[in-house]
Amino acid sequence: MRRDFHVQWLLPAATVLVAAPAMATTYFTVEQAQQKLLPGQALTPVAITLTPAQAKAVQKASGLRVREPKLQVWRAANGAWFYVDQVLGKHEMITYALALDASGAVAGLEILDYRETYGGEVRNPRWRAQFIGKKFGAPLKLDVDIVNLSGATISSAHVTEGVRRLLATHQLVVAGT
Amino acid sequence: MGANGACGEVATQRVRPLLGTFVAIRIDACDGDPEASFAAAFARIEAVHRAMSFHDATSELARLNREAAASPMRVGADLWRVLCASLALARASDGGFDPTIAARLVHSGHLPRPDAPPPDLDATWRDIELLPHQSVHFHRPVWLDFGGIAKGHAVDRAVAVLRQHGVHSGVVNAGGDLRVFGAAQETVHVRDPRDPARSLPLLQVREGAVATSAGYFSTRHGRTALLDTRCHTTLGHGMSVSVCAPRALWADALTKVVLVDPDGARPLLQRLRAQAALIDSTGRVRTLS
Repeated sequence: MRRDFHVQWLLPAATVLVAAPAMATTYFTVEQAQQKLLPGQALTPVAITLTPAQAKAVQKASGLRVREPKLQVWRAANGAWFYVDQVLGKHEMITYALALDASGAVAGLEILDYRETYGGEVRNPRWRAQFIGKKFGAPLKLDVDIVNLSGATISSAHVTEGVRRLLATHQLVVAGT
Repeated sequence: MGANGACGEVATQRVRPLLGTFVAIRIDACDGDPEASFAAAFARIEAVHRAMSFHDATSELARLNREAAASPMRVGADLWRVLCASLALARASDGGFDPTIAARLVHSGHLPRPDAPPPDLDATWRDIELLPHQSVHFHRPVWLDFGGIAKGHAVDRAVAVLRQHGVHSGVVNAGGDLRVFGAAQETVHVRDPRDPARSLPLLQVREGAVATSAGYFSTRHGRTALLDTRCHTTLGHGMSVSVCAPRALWADALTKVVLVDPDGARPLLQRLRAQAALIDSTGRVRTLS
């Protein structure tokens, strides 16, 4: 049965709004993304931290700053690679996974989650008050969902840049390990 | 949930970078394989994007902008649908919505200059003629750019594809153009125009679309990308407009009409069964319906 279009405003007209903090949504866990991008492959984590010289080389090759020298990278039995990386969107951290085939070409990309950054709001006392009682590092459980955010123009350019940086990293450092 | 199993009632969602934003699709209830439904819906959005990209010189729209002033050009179903809707809205709003503003946005630096003959800066939507057999002719050189309305159309097509694949209920959100279908009533949040990092619960909608336009993410040299098409001044400083309508295409297009002239937009909102809310820079909300 198809129901009809229905709208209900949640705000009485001419009220002054009090804002609530924003939200996080997980689309894929790392394991789900591994299964989706490299199905059936056994993945072994590879411990790599870029040396300052390597980070500088990646920066030079990609034109992008390396914020995190410690890589999250796995190697598949068939020679493929799996990366998890974070980029800063306009207002949110975006976590994504990148699969590369044995030749180092992109085999797939999935967005794992995006997360609002709260940095600018920490100075707002009303916003801070709702954290009282929560311990440092505790994840905030909010019953709102990025899917229902209208007006969220998030630049996909940042993910594109992240991929560019990872590809440079792969080429210059990881592929040779 | 198995890769090929029916999804039943399990909510699952995927997001892809498309249309210059992130497109998120959530499936709440379906008969078929949700992964196949996601893939088909994303492919449909990509097809609309390919046809109507202003920036991509190989798109159907770019070809139209290059060639339609010289001789009539036949266009595909997506471009035709968006063009017909744009012109209907331009007429109904007396130019409050005008798909030919791209030339002015290029001029103000909000859009990159396309590889096309320079447009006549005085040209308007009235210089576009729709001919039989989905043919289009420009009476003067213009640059059409559908922007959000094409995004709205892509969302509507994605919903149609999901339904064809046996999806009963879900949400498609293309960064600001959102459509809810099926049983669920969804609460929609908007960014606070005073502080875009925060969001506000705005409305609940069932079987409908919501679009929001605001100046907060697109300022350049202190001016927003929202132009008043009639006097060519920029709009929307610290203000957002959300429109709810049965289709995403109309919801998006109407946000521009409401920004230009909120009270003048009332009859048109009524005719299209739409409702609007304005949030100004002090956080004051005004609903129009």
